[in-house]
Amino acid sequence: MPTDGIDPAWAGFIYREARLADESRYSEWESLWDDDEAVYWVPIEPDQDPNRKLSYIYDNRKRLASRIRQLNSGFRHSQTPPSTMRRLITNLELIAQDERSVTIGSNFVLFEHREVLTTWAGRYTHRIRTNGDKLRLLQKVVHLVNSRDSIPTLAFLI
Amino acid sequence: MTAMDTRPLAPKDVRALVRPDQVHGSVYTSQEIFEMEMRRIFREGWVYVAHESEVPEPGDYVTRRVGGDPLIIARGRDGQVRVLHNCCTHRGNRLCSADRGNANSFRCHYHGWTFSNDGSLVAVPMKDGYADRLDEVKDRLALAPAARVDSYRGFVFASLEDTDITLAEHLGRATAAIDRLCDLSPTGKLTLNAGWMKHFNRCNWKMIMENNVDGYHALFTHKSVYDTIRPAKVSHVPSKVQVLVRDLGGGHTEIDYAEEYTRLDEEFVWFGRAPRESMPDYIAAMEAAYGPERTHRTLVVGPPHTLIFPNLFLAELNIMMVEPLSPSETVAHYTPALLDGAPEMNRKALRRTEGALGPAGFLIADDGEIGYRNQRGLAAHRPEWLELSRGLESDTGNETGTVNYDKSAETPQRGFWKQWQRMMGETK
Repeated sequence: MPTDGIDPAWAGFIYREARLADESRYSEWESLWDDDEAVYWVPIEPDQDPNRKLSYIYDNRKRLASRIRQLNSGFRHSQTPPSTMRRLITNLELIAQDERSVTIGSNFVLFEHREVLTTWAGRYTHRIRTNGDKLRLLQKVVHLVNSRDSIPTLAFLI
Repeated sequence: MTAMDTRPLAPKDVRALVRPDQVHGSVYTSQEIFEMEMRRIFREGWVYVAHESEVPEPGDYVTRRVGGDPLIIARGRDGQVRVLHNCCTHRGNRLCSADRGNANSFRCHYHGWTFSNDGSLVAVPMKDGYADRLDEVKDRLALAPAARVDSYRGFVFASLEDTDITLAEHLGRATAAIDRLCDLSPTGKLTLNAGWMKHFNRCNWKMIMENNVDGYHALFTHKSVYDTIRPAKVSHVPSKVQVLVRDLGGGHTEIDYAEEYTRLDEEFVWFGRAPRESMPDYIAAMEAAYGPERTHRTLVVGPPHTLIFPNLFLAELNIMMVEPLSPSETVAHYTPALLDGAPEMNRKALRRTEGALGPAGFLIADDGEIGYRNQRGLAAHRPEWLELSRGLESDTGNETGTVNYDKSAETPQRGFWKQWQRMMGETK
């Protein structure tokens, strides 16, 4: 259940983003993103500077597009066939709001089945553009609980 | 009905698992072979443990497991880098649980024993319990060091147990590959401080190492990259390029693009063909250090693509090291090879590493999947022997080692296995 101050449309956007990612609907997921501005970020250390320290993923809009093209190619062996996934999102909190965007934090647990069942968990930060005709994703930061440990292949949309 | 043969594998049996053109499938799946590898290769031979730039100041340390042994690599007050077993000599407690940090001493939280970062036992609470034996106890119970530690251009290697060859003898011709990487820095130094990706692979460590120097797989494994992201640096058709594979001896092997890049005489083919105008400070610093001609050659030839036996891979502008966990589990660690004195290069390097490598990498994720499928395939008892004959007829020897101008030849794999066979089959 969303907490105070969170418009149901924003929560709905986050849940839809999750469902499209779960179902590996790559192009539909990509269309949620702003056309120009995007940061899709999975850091390794929680408070790192991405320009000095390595991240697992630190995609700008262009790299995000490459990632989706690769997934759509049918030859991304690590997701062919796609993992079967379902994630739970809870603990939504409004972190920031300005005239063009809102930033919402949430917790997630994701069950990924790919011959073995892997659990992924952590915190999401979604920054959503609110000043257009449609809600669009500007930033998605994923803090994995085990980001400093080794992680298995992460070729799906987290 | 015969009794099950429970005798341990004799050295001659292990040597027999490698043929000139084949390797027995059990090398990837056998628990017994794995344990022998951890002993004979990872403890009784030289292995890569760390880079000096990871512990630049006195007190700096990193911890990691090499061949299963938890180690602390620490720079002492005297400036020396030591490799110590991360195990309290009292009751075995893992002394240091942080990945890295700075400390002049380590205190065990079990009974409060304190060790200096040079390994000596400096304080024992309630010392009267050792009567007049205390000095003897302290001398005897320093942290267990690696038997031998040595380094080459900042790359720190250790032999946890004693070994009869020097690091220079172990590295042999592979020092040229390390030189090739370091010489891309205007000061000749690397800075490995960007942090590490740790990729958990469900496959044997040797599959990952072999794949690093496999010049045959890219067109198929990485088809999705070439079709949708960017074309290959150079053609994959061996007859069209002067890319070669090389067995340097000692298990060190590589894919070498130097001749092809020299033929093209183009700088930075290995770095997205970045124009030198986009990095003016780097070019100026390189030319000041090496002169314009040598700088041009260096920027044409680029970094190495070289496996340093057993656990280090110079992955062009990246460092990769493998940590075997079990016959079917390995952690692969990746960091960009940041160049001292080259911030323009380093900014781009982070993004390139993130794009290509690690669990989400455009390249490595698919290598991981293929490795996993190999491991699962090897649950089959047939075929017993896996094929490594590609290019056998066209291997040639020269002063640099055994070389094959078909980059898809399995010369590097054969070189890796020859060293494996030698080390595993030794009677000690």
